[in-house]
Amino acid sequence: MPRLTVADSDVEVLLKPGETILGGLHRAGYAARTGCLRGGCGVCKVEVTQGSVTYAETVAETVLTSEERTSGICLICRAVPQEDTVIAPRPEFKLRCVAPFLAALARK
Amino acid sequence: MSDVLRMGYVHARVTDLARAKDHYANTLGLYPTLEEDGKLYFKGWDEWDHHSVVLEEGGVGAVKFGFKVMDTAGLERIEKKAQTFGDCTVTRMSAGENREVGDGIRVQLDCIGHTFEFYTDMTAVGLEVGTHNPDAFPRHLVGIGAPMLDHALLIGEDIDTAARFFMEVTDFYTTERAQTDLSDEAQTIAYWLSSMQKVHDIALLRGENGKLHHFAFQMRDWNDILHAADLFAMDDVPIDVGPTRHGITRGETIYFFDPAGNRNETFAGGYTSYRDRPTIIWTADQLAKGIFYHARELKESFTSVYT
Repeated sequence: MPRLTVADSDVEVLLKPGETILGGLHRAGYAARTGCLRGGCGVCKVEVTQGSVTYAETVAETVLTSEERTSGICLICRAVPQEDTVIAPRPEFKLRCVAPFLAALARK
Repeated sequence: MSDVLRMGYVHARVTDLARAKDHYANTLGLYPTLEEDGKLYFKGWDEWDHHSVVLEEGGVGAVKFGFKVMDTAGLERIEKKAQTFGDCTVTRMSAGENREVGDGIRVQLDCIGHTFEFYTDMTAVGLEVGTHNPDAFPRHLVGIGAPMLDHALLIGEDIDTAARFFMEVTDFYTTERAQTDLSDEAQTIAYWLSSMQKVHDIALLRGENGKLHHFAFQMRDWNDILHAADLFAMDDVPIDVGPTRHGITRGETIYFFDPAGNRNETFAGGYTSYRDRPTIIWTADQLAKGIFYHARELKESFTSVYT
């Protein structure tokens, strides 16, 4: 199972097969800034600094350009990590714990 | 009076046609009328023309919007006035350029980066309940059973010129307006424009050119809105906001996203408008109440997520 780590935080989530970054964060009691949740608006872009992601759904080139993909930018609502992955969100990512009990469970 | 009857169709882009078909046919309950050349055509049960939604595979966002015009004389009036208006590109379109749509004119409003088509004829398919002693609704509706397309909210930089186009060229009138304040120097943030008696046929919000905020389907009442929300939960449709009421238009609403990320709305209520009804003004300090009447707080995704 790929491990998702959020840089400069204590957030680590063991992802389930096929799980998106956002799916893992939600399951672990975290919320972040998101938009359409369908890969169509680009609001939830973050930088992948380590590891790699794929997409089970088509993401439009106008939303996530090839250059962005190459430079490691991903859409967390659709990106599925293929290996241990580290993301380095910008401040506007607004990562926050919304369910401490879920976060505690995820850390076990 | 306006020669425009209503917004007849929305043509939008979607990333995956199969997923879009599932959403628009099985969740929204629109009737698929044609699938051809990477495009899907749908109508609502209470619509009689061939389609009100066209979905094209590849990308996201709006391609264009169609307005149905009463007759050829009306179309000619719009064409002449659009040419005189100047701040737009007017071309003629021929029957068949759009499937099942007759001759018309195409107007590009570069001031907001959107394209509009005006036409008088579309192949008639008929109301799903028929015209002879009809029942109140089709017995076996699918999903939320959206009856018809209602309106769209478009985003663009120079909405003042665009609003002037709709008022001067197509004789729409402003039902409601959001502006920075009540001073003489106030800037308009958004316009709600109507051609006949709907509370809006089109709304314009200041922002990035060519962007789509949402297109909306007309629902019967608040009960149908709540029922729709339940079905969205069942079908795992991401809800942006609602169910709630707008201060602006008084409409009852849910905003949600199609599988490509285009925002849809289910809209009910509102009020019957008239050309001589006073324009309602919302000021920026009360905009949150205007947009979400109950929460009175703006939601970041609603005011920053466009396709």
